Amino acid sequence: MGLKTSMKIIVINDMGTMRKIIEKMLKTMGFTNITQADDGATALPMIKEATELGVPYEFIVSDWNMPGMSGLDLLKTLRADDQYKDLPFLMVTAEAEQGNVVIAVKAGVSNFIVKPFSAATLQEKIQKIFKA
Amino acid sequence: MSLLDDPMMKEIVDEFCDEAADLFTQLEDILDEIEDHPDKFSVGLEQFGQIIDRVMGAAKSIGVDEVAKFCELGKIIGYKSSQVTDKKLQEIAVAVMFDTVDLLIKMNEKTRTGSDSSLKNLSTKTFPTRLHWLSEKFKDIDRASCSFDEKQSTDLSKEEDPQQSIDDLLNDLGL
Repeated sequence: MGLKTSMKIIVINDMGTMRKIIEKMLKTMGFTNITQADDGATALPMIKEATELGVPYEFIVSDWNMPGMSGLDLLKTLRADDQYKDLPFLMVTAEAEQGNVVIAVKAGVSNFIVKPFSAATLQEKIQKIFKA
Repeated sequence: MSLLDDPMMKEIVDEFCDEAADLFTQLEDILDEIEDHPDKFSVGLEQFGQIIDRVMGAAKSIGVDEVAKFCELGKIIGYKSSQVTDKKLQEIAVAVMFDTVDLLIKMNEKTRTGSDSSLKNLSTKTFPTRLHWLSEKFKDIDRASCSFDEKQSTDLSKEEDPQQSIDDLLNDLGL
């Protein structure tokens, strides 16, 4: 799957601060089509609706620890649906949860990034995901 | 350079302080609930740990390092306390959690105004003593992070727990 700056991205995080930081980083990289959601439960219907409308999200950047529906639950739900089994999914985790990343890998995460991270690190992760 | 030094980031920092203030209020509510209903101790402190983790991640990302480290400390104590069954120790843990949130609120206000938010300038003498005492009591408790899959999480934490110890964090904070 190629990397294009117009790809449709959804940033999922319960902290508005983090959503803004990540969106700012993505815009700095040139990405223009970015949507935000405040947790997995909000994001899931948005992702499904976009697919139904024929304008599916092409990349998900989701936090792990969120109320409502966690990033891991969202990942598992999406991977259980054939439509989303290959949808690139970048999981954002806190330092203390790195051990649990193994669980996310088993659930089908595309890559993960540990907070705090720089725009360069985010870019590197995105490039790795889309080169694979 | 810290993001706090970047004028373009002021809006994000202000938003962080607002969000953190709301979450600190939620933390106080959880502790009030635990005090009123001790049977909710374990579940309540697990929630406490999850909420403070959210503040920690954002604080680290915008370079508010002291707040982030103190949140990390509160998170570890929250998760470890949630596994305690001794009633007296539970009461002390809750008291320390109240102090922790109180200090975080003060640090958050200092961050908002750009003042020195270091713990040394805000903490009382008894607070570090309580933390060190609690740290000693927690030494035998393994899990210090979120539990998503109990079995896998526990297995992993035993093999490769990257969590800094409470003592390391206290040292980092100068306490």
